[in-house]
Amino acid sequence: MNFAPRYLGRGSWLARRDPRVLIVSLFLFVFTVVQIWDARVVLLLDLVALVYYRSAAIPWAGVRRQWAFVVLFLTLLVLINTLITGGVVPNYTGDYDVFFTLPILGTPISAQSLTYAGTQLMRFMAMTAMGFPVAYAVAPDAFGIAFRRLGVPDKFAFAIDLTFRFLPSLANDMQTTADAQRVRGHDWQEAKGGLITRLRNTTPVVVPSVINALVGAEDTIDAMDLRGFGTGRRTWLKHLVYDRTDKLVIGFFLVQFLLLTYLGFVTDISQIWVPQLLIDLANR
Amino acid sequence: MTGRPTDLLALEGFGFTYRRASRPAVRDITLTVQAGEVLLVAGPSGCGKSTLIRGINGLIPHAYSGTREGEVRVEGRAVADLRLRDLADVVGTALQDPARQIVGATVEAELAFGPENLAVPREDMRERIRDVFARTDIGHLAGRETANLSGGERQLVAVGGILMMRPRLYVVDEPLANLDPATAAQLLAILRRMADEGSAVVIVEHRVEEALGLRPDRVLYMDHGEARYLGPVEGFLDIADPALVKLPFDAVLAQARRRAEAAVAIPISSAAIPIPSATSRAIPADRPPRVAFEDIRAGYGEREVLHGVSARLGVTETVALLGPNGSGKTTLFKAAMKLIPLMSGSIAVDGDDTAERRVAELARTFGYVFQSPSAMLFARTVREELAFGPTNLGADPAELDEVIAEALVRVGLDAEEGILERPPMTLSFGQQKRLAIAIALAMRPRTLILDEPSAGQDHANATRFMDQVRSIDGIESLYLVTHDVDLALTHADRILLFREGRVVADGPPTEVVRDLELWRACNLRETSLMQANARWAPTAGGFVDAERLAAMVVGRREERELA
Amino acid sequence: MTAMVSPGNSRSTMWEVTSRVVVYSAIGAVLYGLLLVIQLPLPGTQNVSLRPAFGLVSFFGYAFGPIVGFFTGLVGNAIGDQLSGWGALTSWNWSLANGFVGLIAGLAPLYLARLMDGTIAQKALGGAIAGIVATLVGFLFIWTDMLIGGMDFNSVLITEYIPVVVGNVIVSAIVVPILVFIWAPIQERMGR
Ligand SMILES: Nc1ncnc2c1ncn2[C@@H]1O[C@H](COP(=O)(O)OP(=O)(O)OP(=O)(O)O)[C@@H](O)[C@H]1O
Ligand SMILES: Nc1ncnc2c1ncn2[C@@H]1O[C@H](COP(=O)(O)OP(=O)(O)OP(=O)(O)O)[C@@H](O)[C@H]1O
Ligand SMILES: [Mg+2]
Ligand SMILES: [Mg+2]
Repeated sequence: MNFAPRYLGRGSWLARRDPRVLIVSLFLFVFTVVQIWDARVVLLLDLVALVYYRSAAIPWAGVRRQWAFVVLFLTLLVLINTLITGGVVPNYTGDYDVFFTLPILGTPISAQSLTYAGTQLMRFMAMTAMGFPVAYAVAPDAFGIAFRRLGVPDKFAFAIDLTFRFLPSLANDMQTTADAQRVRGHDWQEAKGGLITRLRNTTPVVVPSVINALVGAEDTIDAMDLRGFGTGRRTWLKHLVYDRTDKLVIGFFLVQFLLLTYLGFVTDISQIWVPQLLIDLANR
Repeated sequence: MTGRPTDLLALEGFGFTYRRASRPAVRDITLTVQAGEVLLVAGPSGCGKSTLIRGINGLIPHAYSGTREGEVRVEGRAVADLRLRDLADVVGTALQDPARQIVGATVEAELAFGPENLAVPREDMRERIRDVFARTDIGHLAGRETANLSGGERQLVAVGGILMMRPRLYVVDEPLANLDPATAAQLLAILRRMADEGSAVVIVEHRVEEALGLRPDRVLYMDHGEARYLGPVEGFLDIADPALVKLPFDAVLAQARRRAEAAVAIPISSAAIPIPSATSRAIPADRPPRVAFEDIRAGYGEREVLHGVSARLGVTETVALLGPNGSGKTTLFKAAMKLIPLMSGSIAVDGDDTAERRVAELARTFGYVFQSPSAMLFARTVREELAFGPTNLGADPAELDEVIAEALVRVGLDAEEGILERPPMTLSFGQQKRLAIAIALAMRPRTLILDEPSAGQDHANATRFMDQVRSIDGIESLYLVTHDVDLALTHADRILLFREGRVVADGPPTEVVRDLELWRACNLRETSLMQANARWAPTAGGFVDAERLAAMVVGRREERELA
Repeated sequence: MTAMVSPGNSRSTMWEVTSRVVVYSAIGAVLYGLLLVIQLPLPGTQNVSLRPAFGLVSFFGYAFGPIVGFFTGLVGNAIGDQLSGWGALTSWNWSLANGFVGLIAGLAPLYLARLMDGTIAQKALGGAIAGIVATLVGFLFIWTDMLIGGMDFNSVLITEYIPVVVGNVIVSAIVVPILVFIWAPIQERMGR
């Protein structure tokens, strides 16, 4: 398997932005979304997220599987949440317009709980669409400097770069270990025995992977010390500057955040909004 | 000898004992190195070469605990009083394993790492990168991800990262260990150039013959932590034991001559010298080959590495695979073991197609020893480790102890005190490598596949090891991958030359080396032993190792003189 | 001149960020993220599985300190999410929860100093305890899902906290001691 980071959005409009833009926008957006429960506003936010996502030009074929997985899992999560809450919508004090009651569980399915589930799903999707570009449209070697310039200390920012450095090589080593054990007649993927036995069955792969990486780290540590790592202020080869577009993008998400936060206090957009159509349908 | 302030490097009675060790790893070393000078450090495994290096670059005392003796000065200042950051301006160190020392995800990031830490301004860094690309001919690697580089390219980039810091003293620890001969020569050329421009170089290397290509001014020969010799190359070639260090053939011959002159009589005549005969292990015509590759293509993910390989490896042969770094040698045997899927073609083992067989079944036929021995060690004791394979294959628990004991005897680990209860990961590298073979042997294979058995081992260990392996009974055939040309030529019945995922030559050693053009195109070098064999023993039928050949040559002259 | 040298190796340096801490952090994160591919479904449940890799979070914290533990959990979980297709930052609050697990295991010297200085068996026991405590406490942070995902308190408890914590407590209790047992003699031998 190839574990190298996949820079699928390379060259796109969003990928050409300063990487800090993608990270800051995501967090501004997430902090905005979590306050909003009005489906009409959430729909608008979905649109914003969609336009933003499209600007990263991530090829559909490259992330199809990922999206399918996310959608499936989120749908499941929302459904289970609906069942467990017994159809009760948090912070909602009004009446429920019930369609029917689920047999056995006795959960009432109402216009309100359906709206709540739908809105919940839409919020998740918006956040996911905003998150994907960070994963696929930032050059792998730009993360360290991006976090550095966002105020993360030098050493931690470098640790992030180092993470990208180790990812492919440790993945290879792990494959070698798994291979070496297969040659000895051991396959961790084989399902046999009880749970604890199977857990122990993974140690021939897990243990050498961990221990070898740690033993090998001695040389890496020496190599870093010998080149003066962490002994004082450091510079970074890569340079980041916001251009006007970058500032506009961040400005947009900042204004959106401030505006909706304000509206959240003075209007009802932090409460669910149930479409009249659903209420009518339920009462028919 | 005491250090003068003008010495670039001065060691005065330097010694070091690691915190957990009972005896010093290095003892009483005194030497100086001036600007423009190249010092080669040689000696058997474990003699303290790396420890000496750590003393010079400041890891001792700044990163290792223990007891330190004497003084090390760099440009007149005591290393112990300097911070590593300040030392980094003067001393640049390249460690043995580039895969571990590289910290950047891209070539540029790796090159910039040192200057970044020293807060060199960005413009200056860019300038230095251009400069290093120009000096080292690695400009074509610009923008590449370090993970996708071949082993050789990685080593060059690692050295480039040191050049970036513009040190006045280069310290390199076994830079050639995993390199094919051509890449090794390229790296040595870079170091030579640094010395010509006024820097000093201290290089540790087992591959002495190749390291001499660097034209060192002096050699330090160490044994058991002490300096046995320090002086010009010629003197070193006179005194070094060819059994312990691999010397150019001329030096081996000169030593043999001198010994012959000193001795009253030659104890052995040329007639009595056993010459390994390559032809004695011919393949019986009626048996199918152990492995037959039929036009196979294989690789990783989308990337094809083997582009249609066909080869037959016999049941009772010793076959060596030679070729450049990254040419697909390891991949070929991974395919044979079904560790990677075939894209096309087929592989038959003892006449049966492997498509139907499982990895574990193949493990009964092949004992596969990986390039890195520690990759598979996971158990708490050596006993557990050795029992793991046979148990997986359903061996009789009653026989287990016997199987384990036998495997340990065969690799010479049985004498080690309390070996069965030792944690495998605490064994030395050489011991781990032997344990890896014991693990393979415990599964009672008929063919042994060894990937780089000699990498990082000294000459004595590497040859002893090969001789031992060949004498193990029950092992019918031996297939090995190596960069050690002489080892391959003297031990193999057949050589497969590999290049860019294809077999480009296949035949007995004496035939394969005839096409020198092809030989060089596979990043191989014409070694002094090859030249000597061609000159002195063209009719021997196989390749003769340096010591035997030297004895033969001297013996013949004696005979001529007697006659 | 003879000198005993022993560069920094005291426990007071728990919060010091050395090259060692940086390298171990990166390695911990990568290993955790990669090894998350190994999942053993818990019998009788659908979406709960044992993830042996989780033991690494507590192990890296316990063996190398709170900073390494925190980074291992935080970044490692993000990597695992990315590789599985979930997206690195989609569940950033879960990554933080993992980070807290590593952090709390890394604070073990504050509550398990005795065991940590004892025999190897005691060290291993300490690792198991630290792993269990850290898992129980660290994952309290996933109740942030109430805010972010609009989940209900009980929903988080039943569908998230309990399944995750049960699986991970089992894993921590088994995997951390195994790793401690193997690592301790090696660390002793390398003894810088
Ligand atoms: N970190 C360490 N702690 C304790 N002992 C050590 C350490 N490193 C090396 N030694 C011991 O010190 C001695 C010298 O080791 P050193 O690594 O310097 O040898 P070397 O000449 O470089 O060998 P090789 O050619 O195999 O690399 C050996 O006996 C080794 O076991
Ligand atoms: N696990 C892997 N994933 C992707 N590519 C790989 C993997 N292993 C090897 N390769 C690539 O396949 C090619 C052949 O590698 P291989 O290890 O077979 O070379 P080799 O001839 O054994 O080289 P060396 O002499 O350096 O050991 C190289 O370009 C290498 O980068
Ligand atoms: Mg060494
Ligand atoms: Mg190889």
